[in-house]
Amino acid sequence: MNRTSTTQPTPSHLGPDSSMLRARSLVVSYGRTAALRGVTLEVRRGEILAVTGPSGSGKSTLLLTLAGILVPDAGEVHFGERCITAENESSRSRLRRKQFGVLFQFGQLVPELTAEENVALPLLLSGRRRGVAITAATTWLDRFGVADLAKVRPPEMSGGQAQRVAVARAMVTEPEVLFADEPTGALDTLAGEQVMTQLVRVAREADTTVVLVTHDARIAAYGDREVVVRDGVLPDPIPADEASVSGREEGRS
Amino acid sequence: MSSSCPRPATSLRLAATGGRADLMRIVLTALGGAATTVGLLLAMSVAAIGSGDGPYTADVLNQPGLRPGVIVVLLLLCVPVLFFVGQCTRVGAPQRDRRLAALRMAGATPADVRRIAAMETGLAGVIGAVLGATTFFAGRALLGSPQVREVEISTDEIGSDGQVTRMVETLSTAAHTLPTDVTLPAWSIVLALLAVPLAATAASVVALRQVTISPFGVIHHRVTRPPTLLPIVLLLAGAGGLAIWETVATTLRLDLQDGLGLYAGVALVLFVLAAAGLIFGSASVAFLIGTWLAPRVRHPSLLIAARRMIDAPFTASRASSAVLLAVLLGAAVQGTRTTFLLLTDPSDGFYADTFRLLDTALLVAIGVAVAGLLVITAEGIVARRRTLASLTAAGTPRRVLAAATLIEVFLPLVPTVVLATAAGVLAARGFFGTTVQPPGSGRVPGRDVTAPVGVPVPWVQLSVLAGGTLAAVMLVTALALIFLRRSTSVTELRTAA
Repeated sequence: MNRTSTTQPTPSHLGPDSSMLRARSLVVSYGRTAALRGVTLEVRRGEILAVTGPSGSGKSTLLLTLAGILVPDAGEVHFGERCITAENESSRSRLRRKQFGVLFQFGQLVPELTAEENVALPLLLSGRRRGVAITAATTWLDRFGVADLAKVRPPEMSGGQAQRVAVARAMVTEPEVLFADEPTGALDTLAGEQVMTQLVRVAREADTTVVLVTHDARIAAYGDREVVVRDGVLPDPIPADEASVSGREEGRS
Repeated sequence: MSSSCPRPATSLRLAATGGRADLMRIVLTALGGAATTVGLLLAMSVAAIGSGDGPYTADVLNQPGLRPGVIVVLLLLCVPVLFFVGQCTRVGAPQRDRRLAALRMAGATPADVRRIAAMETGLAGVIGAVLGATTFFAGRALLGSPQVREVEISTDEIGSDGQVTRMVETLSTAAHTLPTDVTLPAWSIVLALLAVPLAATAASVVALRQVTISPFGVIHHRVTRPPTLLPIVLLLAGAGGLAIWETVATTLRLDLQDGLGLYAGVALVLFVLAAAGLIFGSASVAFLIGTWLAPRVRHPSLLIAARRMIDAPFTASRASSAVLLAVLLGAAVQGTRTTFLLLTDPSDGFYADTFRLLDTALLVAIGVAVAGLLVITAEGIVARRRTLASLTAAGTPRRVLAAATLIEVFLPLVPTVVLATAAGVLAARGFFGTTVQPPGSGRVPGRDVTAPVGVPVPWVQLSVLAGGTLAAVMLVTALALIFLRRSTSVTELRTAA
């Protein structure tokens, strides 16, 4: 895979002090189809960034690249001082396990494990003792209002319950950044709003930065800032330092 | 008036329409079907050997009394192959389920989609049967010419002084390697050609009775009750019964001259009990191990493997049953060989040939069974690719998932392979006895006294059998892990299931 370093200068309004993630000139292609065509973006510490756009616009690809799951054909992603696109797969896996949380639309829970075991899994992977991991998992399940499901397996849960367990699992390591790709895509409106309300509350309490990909304007409204991806580019990103952390700009869809 | 169901040609076209996984399923099923057809045609060839046919290089084919044994071995060989076919029919099941659901969405009735799915399996069976018959008859043509070989005919003559003199005469004779000279009756060819497609279709119909195909997907009515300990009881009863059967028969003074049928019949029933216990008991063993491990372990690989053993013990059992059956038979053969080595002349080529044939058959059986395990393990990984890809994306190392797969296959198999080996050798020792009286043992001048000799346990052969099988299982499971890398690819995050 060709990887070219960016020649674009860092925009002056993006202050390095407050930035959590910086992406420069990201190019990602699936075969001949270009998914990202030179995306530059900065995510500030503690903000909830909504990435929206039409289907196939490249918003999920952007999230996967920012999370270090996908390696771009060109461009760089920096997490603090680390250039994660230059790191190998093992190093990026450790980063995702310890400092990032990842949340998808569905299918991320191990169906054979109970809810508490699913939530405890990242801690067990980090070498924690079983008792400690299970206790922490129970606490996080409680924070998302699903403590009563601790011994239940995912196939026996509703979509909303399973997704709240999945959010608890993504948050159990108290990640610095949570990447959520259409986290309510498989839920009805009410369940989706319940999940988002709890996710935002917990993220605020833990000072977790959230990158939220959605095509739903109501879900995007939970973000502090919104960027719209169209045909693999960010036509008009709102600068991070111009966006209010407490409230998002009006008038963008 | 038009029929309310699709025309057969339409059903056949829909059955043959599918993606790469569907093609792979048809190809693997057809290959298994071809091997079964070859096995059936070979068995029928042996059955058709007449007085004017032969001779053959393998002496077991020259002895009319031993041919039924060869036929039984060939038919038994078809069992692991049929297990393999059964496992192959599950390849690409999720994609097929989606296709069948889409057909329901398009207006097909449940009966229509069942017919289409059964036709697909039947089609693979037909391809396999034709391929097998073609291979068989091509092989017959290639091996048709007899080979010239030298046969030693030995006769023992007892002299007036009681000394035995062995006369050996060497004759040159033309012999066939296989019964390629026999004329197969037409009915037997038709039967062999129909057997695989009919069996595959019937198995498919039975399997489809356990699922509901709705427009929104296929619901598998899985067995949710945990496995019971009954199979373990069966295994212990069968193996234990075999271990003491010879002693019991001696105590009951069962006359082996007149009551051989009863003696062998009881032993066969006990052997079948042990085999059934072993096959169904492997699910119980997996469940017990998983239940014990799951609340205790902290290593993620062990935890995932243990929970899968609890959740789907019958999956592990399905995958390993053919392997266990082959090991059971293999251990029984090794036990039998040890007894025969004491009772017969080691230089007698007949027994050496027979046991070599049995060894080859067992090796093939274990190979096919292990290949089936490869198919089912790989399919299990592919079927869970969305979850595996999500876990990898969240930072779970692939080695953790790989270790979980290895543990899930291997952990229940170790004790069950040991049980199968023990049951097999106990069966042989129980049937033939733990002591024998070899002819000529304790011979003293002027008298022919036989002294009982203890039959040793063939530890080396049993260790090679059990260890070799476990090593082969480890190897194929590791091979199946190739699919893990593909299944955890980031592109899987974009698929729905």
